[in-house]
Order: sequence, then C-alpha cells, then structure tokens
Amino acid sequence: MGSTISEPLADIIARQWDVIVIGTGIGGGVAGRALAEAGRSVLFVEMGRAGMRAEETGLDIGLADPVARAIRGMWPDPVLAEVNGQSQSFFAPLGAGLGGSSVFYAATLERPEPHDLDDSPQRPHPTGGWPVSFAAMRPWFDAATGMFALHGEPDPLSEIPCPALIPPPPPQPGDAMIMARLAARGLNPYRLHTALRYLEGCSECLGHKCPRACKMDGRSAGVEPALVTGNAHLLSECSVTHLAREGARITQVLARKGGEAITLNARHVVLAAGALSSPRLLLASGSEADPRGIGNAQDLVGRNLMFHLNEIFALWPGRAAGFAGPSKSVGFRDLYFAENQRLGMVQAMGVDVGYGEIVHHLRGRVAGSWLRHIPGAMDATRIPAAIGAKLLGQAKVFVGLLEDLPYHENRVCHDPEHPGRITMSYRIAPELLARRRTFRRLISHAFRGQRTAFLTHRPEPNFGHPSGTLAMGRDPAKSVLDASCRPHGMQNLWITDASVFPTSMGVNPSLTIAANALRVAAILKDEK
Amino acid sequence: MNALTDGCAIVTGAGGGLGRALALALAPHMQVAGLGRRMEALEETESLAGGNFLPLMADVTDVADVTQAFDTARNIAPITVLINNAAIYPRRDFLDESAASFMATVGTNLGGVVTCTRAALSDMTATGFGRILNVATFADMHPLPASSAYSVSKGAARIFTRALIADIGDRFPGIVVNDWMPGMLATDMGTADGLDPAVAARWGAKLALWHDPSLTGTIWEMAAEIPPARSLKRRIADRVLMRPRPRARQL
Repeated sequence: MGSTISEPLADIIARQWDVIVIGTGIGGGVAGRALAEAGRSVLFVEMGRAGMRAEETGLDIGLADPVARAIRGMWPDPVLAEVNGQSQSFFAPLGAGLGGSSVFYAATLERPEPHDLDDSPQRPHPTGGWPVSFAAMRPWFDAATGMFALHGEPDPLSEIPCPALIPPPPPQPGDAMIMARLAARGLNPYRLHTALRYLEGCSECLGHKCPRACKMDGRSAGVEPALVTGNAHLLSECSVTHLAREGARITQVLARKGGEAITLNARHVVLAAGALSSPRLLLASGSEADPRGIGNAQDLVGRNLMFHLNEIFALWPGRAAGFAGPSKSVGFRDLYFAENQRLGMVQAMGVDVGYGEIVHHLRGRVAGSWLRHIPGAMDATRIPAAIGAKLLGQAKVFVGLLEDLPYHENRVCHDPEHPGRITMSYRIAPELLARRRTFRRLISHAFRGQRTAFLTHRPEPNFGHPSGTLAMGRDPAKSVLDASCRPHGMQNLWITDASVFPTSMGVNPSLTIAANALRVAAILKDEK
Repeated sequence: MNALTDGCAIVTGAGGGLGRALALALAPHMQVAGLGRRMEALEETESLAGGNFLPLMADVTDVADVTQAFDTARNIAPITVLINNAAIYPRRDFLDESAASFMATVGTNLGGVVTCTRAALSDMTATGFGRILNVATFADMHPLPASSAYSVSKGAARIFTRALIADIGDRFPGIVVNDWMPGMLATDMGTADGLDPAVAARWGAKLALWHDPSLTGTIWEMAAEIPPARSLKRRIADRVLMRPRPRARQL
C-alpha cells in the first residue's frame, strides 16, 4: 500500500539510470513517459505516497493533520508566506503524492495565446518574449492535447486551429443555458478544454482523484503509461535532498527514503517538483563551487514567483431562467487582452452559490470591516443571506484568471533549518492592482444589466498556480534556464514544471507544462 | 464490478441466530460465505439455504482462521459485502470476570469486527466498491448489570465504525459502511418474546444490499434510519430557512 517498488531498493540504488525524474505531476509524468516510450530507463522519484488507484479523495484544505494529509496525497504541511509584508501560514492547494497536484485538479487545459509567449509591436511582451515562440510550441500543444484526450470546442475568437481537440459530449442543461446567456451579451463562449476521456460511467472527477484512468493527469497520462512500457520504475515516499554537481553535469542525486540517506545515479536528471519546490532543491544544493546553489550565480533561482489573481464572481441568471445543474465547462476569452493590457480568460467554476456560500462571503466582508467589533454581527449575516438565497435563487460562479508578471522580489526561499518547508515572499505589484481594476470593470461591464457580485474583494493569489521561479530566457544574466530548460551551462539537468515559465499567461498552466515537458523530452532523448 | 451481488458476501456467526437468518436472506441474491466456529451448525445453514452458501469454519478472534476463510471465499468471487454479525454475550457480573475472560469477549465483539473488516477491505479498496454492515446495539448507552464486557466491546465496535469512516470515507465513498441495530430478537442471545430473526434478517439483508454512499455513517434501528440529533441552533436555522425536516428513510 505504501511505496510502489518494482525492484528492490538496493537494485534501484546500484543502477545507473538513463533518467531520474524528480516529481510525478504533469511536468515529471509527461517527460518521464515520453522518455520511457523512447526506450530510456526512467526512475520516477516521488516524495509522497503512491496511493491506491480506487481512491476518490478531494483536495481538502480544511484537513490539518499532516499524517492524514500525506496519506491522502495532499501537501502535508502549511506553507509559510509573507504576502504584502504580512506573515501567513496556510494549506495551499498542492498535492504530494503520485500525480502531484494534478490528481486533484479540475483538468482544464487551455492553450495560451500567441502574445503570451511572443513579443510584437502591437502586444509587446514584458520580458521581450519567451525563448521558445508560440509557433515552435504549437506542435507540442497539439501533442499534449492528444495525450490528455482534451475534449472541448475551439475558441471562436482564435484563428489558430486545434486539430487534436475532440468534440465534447452534449452540454448539460446548465451549460447550454449559460452559453446562450453569454452569447446574448455579445460574448464568445466555448466549451472548456477538459482532460476527461468520458469513459462509460464517467462522473467528471474535477476537484478530486479519479478512481480510473479517465481523468488525464500526471498519473494517468504520465507515470502509469510510462510504467506500462517496462522501462520505468517508481520510487515513492522518497525525498530528494541534494543534487551533486561536477562541471556541467549532475553526478549524483541524494535523497532520503524511510529515514535513510540514499544516493541515486543517472545520466540525466529531470527536475519537476513544482514551481514552489524545484527552486528550493537547487538552492539546497549549494557547495563550495555553488555557494548560493546550483544555477544561482545571478541570484535568480526562486525569484520572479507568479500566481494568477482569482477574480471570482457570481452571476444570478434569475429564478425564472430554469438553469438546471451547475455549469462547469464554459469559458470565454473576450477580455483576455483588452485596453492594451494582459488580463486573462474567464471560466465557469462548476459550483452554484446558495445560502452557505453567501453567508461565507458576507462574513468575510464583515470580518474585514469595523462591524467585526460588534457582537453578533457575524451571526447576523445569516439573515440577509437567507433572504438573498430565497429571492435570488442559485447563482453561477465564474473565475477570471488575471495574469501575473515577474517581479524580482517575489520569491520562494530555502530555509536551511526546515529544508522541506515551502517558504515564500510575495508582494502584489501596484501594476497588477491597476490591471485588476481594469479586469473587474470590464467583467462588470460585460454583464451590465445582469445581477452579478464579486465574491473576491481583496486580491486573491491562486496558490495552486505558481510559476516562474526558474525562468527560461535567452540572456544568462537575466534568466536561470536556457531555451532547452537546462540551467545556463549545464548539460544534464532539465526542468519541466511551471518553474520555467517566463510569464504566467492568462490561462491555466497545465497544457503548457505538458507541452513543454514533451518538447524538452524530445531534446533530452537525443543527448548522450 | 457493477453490483454487490456480482461478488461474495461474508456473514460472520452464520451457524445460528441472526447470522444464519441473514445468510439465508442473502443467498437467493448472491454467493454467501458463512463463518462460524461449529461446522455442523454451518452445514445446517447450508442445507437450509439450498445453494449459494459456503460454510467456512473460522473463529473470528483467530487472524489465521479469518485469513484462510477469506482466501477461500474470494476464490469464488471478490468480497463485496461483509456483515459483521458474530458476537458473544456472556451474562456475567464484573466481579466474576477475570481480565482474561473480559478481554476474550472484547476479542470477539471488537477484535472479530476489526479482523474481518481489515480482510474484506483488501478486496474493497482494490475496486473502491463494497458494503460493510455492522450489527450493533445500544448496549453501550446504559449498560445493564452483568453485561460489562458486552457493553464495552459492542460500544467500542460502534466507535470502530466511526473511526473506519474517518479513515476511508472520503477516500473510498463507494465503500458504504454503517451500523444496524436489529432490535430484540428471539435468539439464544436475545429474549424468548423477541422478534423472529427471519423478520429482522429481511431488513438486514435489504440494508446490506443497498449501495448508496449516503448511507455511510448512518445508524439504523430495525427497518428505520435514526436521523442524527440536531442542535438547537441547527433546528432554528433550518426553521428560519424553511428547510424541509430531514426524513428518516425506511427499508
């Protein structure tokens, strides 16, 4: 039940692997699968448990016990974050088991826009552009679209075809009516690109583990098919602690397994522990030659941390609208780039707001105001909430993903006292707040005449969408990785998670992580 | 696995009383394996069942016995249903108990449930599908004289049901677990003027074959669900919101 070791630990340690993949989320799973299918011997090293296939656990950020969390594949410990100078400790929506965070995700894999990667006079890119153009990434987006069995409709605003996209099953009544309502507002809605195979009896496991290989994630689309080739092995409950470097090569991978220190060997190392953890491993791998950690001569490792800001709002279609069932598979990109600003896409969240959510929302507003000092004010929120729920009926909830941009002072830190702990420091940039105001104004305008309410009042970073902490770039003085996602000057260390993103884009990161992992694996497999 | 009845049901204590009646009520629907300490009694159940019943001599306090019995049963079909029925009720004043005699009762009434549940979960967690029905009592609420070991062990078994749900309920919603109080029965363990065990067994079998994840954690007495107690605050809130009163389900 614990770790899945297909051969004795002594043999795993004695073996010289072609590739060691650290982390089994989308980046590690997809890269490892591509390499195993190309005939390379691959060892997946996963910090968390392999888990049991039939589990349907949801990501519960209310569960606080670290043992119970680890058993369920959730990141066991709270993250420590200094946000706008205020220290916070909270459970982030992160996985720590086979498949990483992706086994819990909502499986929305949206392709970015060309301007997310490319610089142009009309849409100048804040970093001068990714070192890989949209055109160069496009075949990999298509390959990942097929690999993740994406079902959805092409964005009507895009001129770039999506040949691998499979038409979705007929929409639920709630989805069909929300599509019609959005279209009537002059918007261009489409069915989101969802990594579900819709096998018979599919219960759309969005937000919880899928008991079958129906939802496509780092496990079902990555590690499991890799293991089927016979070329890959999984070592779970094993934490990598240090990478040993000699010249341009990583020579050893040091790890802890069951309280013992072990050393693993491979010709190549793929690091895909996630944007909050991959930089911490490089920072923890300091030596005399690398006093600040591997790849960190410019003090850039862990910096330029980005999140999306979640703008969550409720739309009340009205009691008479006959909206049946929650809407979960609709989005639109009309506000993606507007007023010459990078904003982002809007998606249905798959929940309807009823009484409980309104109470929660009102309480949040009371807690943030002078009313919190009045005894009973919190409980009093129940009454307007009850009236609201009665009068307005159920609301559809949408989220706008607002793109974040890289800032040097936003960073993941390595705490030598607590090397396993995620520690970060993040400040919401004034420029981001200004774009947030634009985004909210445009959202309100788009739904003018409809009853809507923003459910997020303070800016809310989406801690489930971290990126940018080992950004790739052309200039070694301004970036950690080169275009092949290796630290500048390194030969056999490759990064394939969202750390590599120079910018956070206006879409969910998963498709780009998968596409980039396939691209990097294709370069790696031809290397000695 | 699409239906509970495609697999094998295990009933402990199937050599008599309620266990035999439960086995007989299930056998028309699916393969049943009955565990018990006396082979003759199990064979009597087998002849009454007239098919679909596999007698397996096993003492639920003996892990090796249980392991072997479950292996034999799962050779026929994966175990999809477990009814933890086996229990003993020695009428004994606590001053007549030794620590060993007391713990022997705990070994059957709690230990047997733990051992058999653990064995059944090997099959059920592999598929994420199954049904565990624990035959329970209210003996722990107001223990009667000369019932200390029984009250303690049956009460502990009810705690075990809740603890099991804390561990697997969120991960395996398709493994449905709950407690059922059959009522006072006209069996060796019950009273002469009690209910015919065959009547109670019809309810028990129906409940055991009801695979609805919302049953997990519910408590049933005879043919009816006992709704959980609502706090005053909850009741007021429900009234203000004009929520319908929660209705107890019936078998």
